[in-house]
Amino acid sequence: MNKVYYIVAEHLFCVEAQESVLGLLGNYEPFRTEQSKDALFSLTVTDGGPIRYVEELNQDEEGQDIVCGHTGLGEPVFEFRFGGKTAGWLVCSAGYREGTLYLSGFQTKAAVDNALMIQFAMASATLDTALFHAAAVSLDGRGYMFLGKSGTGKSTHARLWLQNIQGAELMNDDNPAVRVFKDGTAVVYGTPWSGKTPCYRNICAPIGGIVLLSQAPYNRITRLTGIGAYAAVVPSISGKRWDSRIADGLHETENALASNVPVWHLDCLPDADAAHLCKDTIAL
Amino acid sequence: MKIKNGFVLRTVCGENVIVGEGLDAINFGRMLSLNETAVWLWKQAQEQSDFTAQSLSEALCQEYDVTPEQALQDVTETIQNWKQLGVME
Repeated sequence: MNKVYYIVAEHLFCVEAQESVLGLLGNYEPFRTEQSKDALFSLTVTDGGPIRYVEELNQDEEGQDIVCGHTGLGEPVFEFRFGGKTAGWLVCSAGYREGTLYLSGFQTKAAVDNALMIQFAMASATLDTALFHAAAVSLDGRGYMFLGKSGTGKSTHARLWLQNIQGAELMNDDNPAVRVFKDGTAVVYGTPWSGKTPCYRNICAPIGGIVLLSQAPYNRITRLTGIGAYAAVVPSISGKRWDSRIADGLHETENALASNVPVWHLDCLPDADAAHLCKDTIAL
Repeated sequence: MKIKNGFVLRTVCGENVIVGEGLDAINFGRMLSLNETAVWLWKQAQEQSDFTAQSLSEALCQEYDVTPEQALQDVTETIQNWKQLGVME
């Protein structure tokens, strides 16, 4: 077994696994570090399973199931299934600081990615950090995030910025991380997780705006404030909200974002005009 | 009557809202905004755990300067609203 350390959104974590598994983790290379002190969490990857546990909730998205539960000892368990077939079981300690991923041998890479995303999201939730389901672009030193239900066109809208707005760059296409600091500054970070688009950039930018997208037969943008802004942000953040420690932590971050960052709702077509309207309204 | 498990009172940008966070409430999918009296009643209902319109309105009369009739009417309306939204049983 070998140990490797990574820093994502300024959180240090450790992966301990066989070389054959570590060799699959090319998307983490830009985040690799020599630091090894005070890691937020560590994941040990090994063969094994099945793990017996009590199911709490099955989250099904795009043919991929993540089943949440707990062992007889109360340790959180996450089972990852692809097309109904199990890739692995993640068993965590309380606080999600220590995790062990038991691999079935099927879809190893996806199981490791899922395990690390879950541990990252859970362990950092109490530290003013949120792992988003969103696309993020940068322009003139600021980050802009596009949110929406699966299939709404987050990636499409991000691509329209890249194609039509000079200087726009993709930061992350699926799972950027966000931190809110004590002074209220919110920063978006690239991560090793980016959905189907290989965009694994170790970069960050202060957030200039967050845009909730809806499909419409026209382009129109409106500002959201207060509860409306909060309600726009919450569904895009990964977390196990029935764990009250995590829910409390995420609420702090979500409330700070809704209070300090401009949040918008864009009804849009998948066209260049949508990108221009959005940019001209939200990017100062 | 009681408030269903999984509903949490949060302060969002200075306003009070009920959100569904527990396993039993995870699919609530909406937020319920409460005024000051409703917040007080919510906390009172949680405290009493098993409550009635009568028990809540009695408590309301002790806290606020309202007639028993007015208190009962306010409480009944609030409870009706919460029932319709499915946050209590």
